[in-house]
Amino acid sequence: MELFDSMFISASGMRVQGERLRVIAENIANVDSVGETPGADPYRRKVITFRNQLDRQMGVETVKVSKVGTDPSDFRKKYDPGNPAADKDGYVSLPNVNALVEMTDMREAQRSYEANLKVIEASRSMLTRTIDVLR
Amino acid sequence: MNFTDIPLFERLTERMNWLGQRTRVLSQNIANADTPNYQPQDVKPLDFEAEMRRLDPVAPARTDKKHLVGTVAPAGDFDAKKSKKTYETAPVGNAVVVEEQMMKVADSQLNYNMVVNLYRKHIDMFKTAIGRGGV
Repeated sequence: MELFDSMFISASGMRVQGERLRVIAENIANVDSVGETPGADPYRRKVITFRNQLDRQMGVETVKVSKVGTDPSDFRKKYDPGNPAADKDGYVSLPNVNALVEMTDMREAQRSYEANLKVIEASRSMLTRTIDVLR
Repeated sequence: MNFTDIPLFERLTERMNWLGQRTRVLSQNIANADTPNYQPQDVKPLDFEAEMRRLDPVAPARTDKKHLVGTVAPAGDFDAKKSKKTYETAPVGNAVVVEEQMMKVADSQLNYNMVVNLYRKHIDMFKTAIGRGGV
């Protein structure tokens, strides 16, 4: 039935938003993870992408995580000669994670999650109304 | 006598089907609100002429039950078309605007409630006609 399908699709949407939140949490947690040896690369920011995919069993198009890639942008540099990860000029590479960007992403994931949840609520109430006809 | 033979009930059931499928398509849009290059879809508005044309879909004849069903559109009775006029398209190619979709979901829900209420009222009328046992 269509309304069950719609709940299934929304649930898949919620699942990928949860995954997205996991990647964001990973980025935020690693905002200060630098290398251990001189000149070593620090943590590289991860980026998640989605794609829609046909679920053959249900015959509906759901959303899946396409891949968790890395952000190729440059690392931040900080002058800190005392750090074990400092290169010969005394600069330490810091992760290319921007906390502000991550927080904004987090909010967006939250909103998308809520939107999916609302659709489940709507489908559910429509189903309940239909069942109420029996009364 | 069969309830579905009464034209009014037939139309109402069809309308409920249509609204159910619309909810499914909209939930697919919302689940894919962050999928790159995703174009939102919507079902065609219900109109009589289109209904009549739809009555006779061309499908391969199955002369043996071992034959496969063929390539008939798998999901739903109504065509889901990509929306041409969308509010905006994100740089990544996604044209889903969650607000727009939520509005459509609310609209579907309202209409669904209306149809279900009409259905119930008519059943109540039948019950009144029957006499005892009526509400």
